[in-house]
Amino acid sequence: MDPDSLSKAFVEHYYTQFDTNRIALVSLYDEASMLSFEGQQIQGAHNIAAKLNGLPFEQCKHIISTVDCQPSGPLGGMLVFVSGSLQLPGEEHSLKFSQMFHLLPTPQGSFYIFNDIFRLNYA
Amino acid sequence: MDPDSLSKAFVEHYYTTFDSNRLNLMGLYQESSMLSFEGEKIQGAQNISNKLNSLPFQQCKHNISTVDCQPSGPAGGMLVFVSGNLQLPGEEHALKFSQMFHLIPTAQGSFYVFNDIFRLNYA
Repeated sequence: MDPDSLSKAFVEHYYTQFDTNRIALVSLYDEASMLSFEGQQIQGAHNIAAKLNGLPFEQCKHIISTVDCQPSGPLGGMLVFVSGSLQLPGEEHSLKFSQMFHLLPTPQGSFYIFNDIFRLNYA
Repeated sequence: MDPDSLSKAFVEHYYTTFDSNRLNLMGLYQESSMLSFEGEKIQGAQNISNKLNSLPFQQCKHNISTVDCQPSGPAGGMLVFVSGNLQLPGEEHALKFSQMFHLIPTAQGSFYVFNDIFRLNYA
């Protein structure tokens, strides 16, 4: 699959999981993975899953506006840069966000998230 | 220098150069460097420099709101994720943007930009 299709497929999978089955996100990360969430640095699949599952909302919907991707170097990694908005129930205005992922290939022919940086874009 | 200081120093250098001496940005990229600028894909220092130098404004000022960084893997690379706004002369409202850089170490102990993705954040 070409990089653009791969990155779009990953983005769709990631945010669908986030919005419908958040606990399953843990398997997209491994022990070395890093997340920076609004400036807070977290390492390791378990800690990252705890952070994401501990966010102060039960339900949410991510709506993606843009997806850009580039190969990250000779190891077959991919950088994916996303912008969109996050709708929370009961909130009139959705929150705008930008996020980047650095995906590395697994031996099984899939990808996992090595780097993840998330920022809200305040007005 | 620790990664956080390195990335802050890079960000300051990059945007100061962009705002005061845009032609000099070319020295930060190499032949294999990639830029995605609002979805347009450009490769190579010369082409990237041409793109940035032909943007439809002579003067600009980048104001940086957030800088996040993470190491990108075993080769010593750094991912830098920036958000801020771009002031253009004569424009009442500044344009919000997000940008990510993947910096790779050079033999001389410096860094060059291998990956660069830029997106405006529309309201």
